Amino acid sequence: MNSPLCELLHIRYPVLQGGMAWISDGKLAAAVSEGGGLGIISAMNAGADYLKEQIRLARSLTDRPFGVNVMLMSPHAEEVAQAVIDEKVPVVTTGAGSPAKFLPAWKAAGITVLPVVASVASAVMAERAGADAVIAEGQESGGHIGELTTMALVPQVCDAVKVPVLAAGGIADGRGMAAAFMLGACGIQMGTRFLVATECGVHQNYKDMVLRATDVSTTTTGRRFGGNTCRCLKNPFSRHFLQVEYQPETTAEDVADLGVGALRLAAVEGDTKNGSFLAGQISGLVRKEQPAAEILREVCEQCDALLTGSRGKD
Amino acid sequence: MVLEKVQEMLAEKLGVPAEEITAESEFSALGLDSLDFAEMLMNVETEFGVSIEADPSIKTVGSLVEKIEELQKKGS
Repeated sequence: MNSPLCELLHIRYPVLQGGMAWISDGKLAAAVSEGGGLGIISAMNAGADYLKEQIRLARSLTDRPFGVNVMLMSPHAEEVAQAVIDEKVPVVTTGAGSPAKFLPAWKAAGITVLPVVASVASAVMAERAGADAVIAEGQESGGHIGELTTMALVPQVCDAVKVPVLAAGGIADGRGMAAAFMLGACGIQMGTRFLVATECGVHQNYKDMVLRATDVSTTTTGRRFGGNTCRCLKNPFSRHFLQVEYQPETTAEDVADLGVGALRLAAVEGDTKNGSFLAGQISGLVRKEQPAAEILREVCEQCDALLTGSRGKD
Repeated sequence: MVLEKVQEMLAEKLGVPAEEITAESEFSALGLDSLDFAEMLMNVETEFGVSIEADPSIKTVGSLVEKIEELQKKGS
């Protein structure tokens, strides 16, 4: 597929796999990169040692480029930012904050930097700070989200910046990808669809919950006190969280404590009751577990067919 | 029979053991929002081959079961 993103990142398909904490490890990233997209290892809240281990794992599985997602709110952000330089990682995506602080060092090291943004202002600031492209992520996404939808956000970001724009949030097939191109994006990022990839090592219960999900299966927690809104699948954990969150005497600190460890319980233990199963609104469209390469081919072929005029298969 | 099946469907949807759901359980107390409720009605229609109007008097699992049984009698 022809996209400036393919040249920028040296990939075949203009598709990134979202950095999902506790989920996007070296194995999944390598499978996506082998399949022609760009795999992303999530540095999550872990230290540099974990990241280096995952980078080595990915390099043992593929010679193709892959990236690392740096969570800027992580207590280990500094050491992780240095680790991507030391390990000569070609691409970095950032989430949960402004990457301006680390951009000069990353650019000096020749790293291509793609911040995830949820508003026009943060996209403009990222461009000004030297970002090579931005990932405009709508609130359809799983995990930490902003307020705008992909449909509203992407064209507004495209009008506001000169760098390439990727669309993320609510995309899981070729129709979504084609729509993203129509909105002005030159590539996409998908998380939920890759969560059920054969090569994804997340607990089977997590995959099953995504595969069984329908259009109304997700909810958002953490909205009340702002800044920490998180989309997850409805389960006993999410219902308990929301019940506590909206009690009058509950404080922002109480809410922050509620989520601690819940993601690990979901991804590693497969605890369907107490875990927090982050997933996007498009989960209802995700119906089967299949190899990452097959996902990439299917999505891009359908998108291509739609964009060249013939109707893509449903 | 109908009650057991509805309990099973709700347990599956909510991710809780079926024992936690009784005829007296209110849908809102179980944590079902209006979107979940609409979806559940659709699933119930398919499962029992009936057509249910969204009726505000259906507040508990038991009242839904009664409604289904009533519709099934009419249909047969």
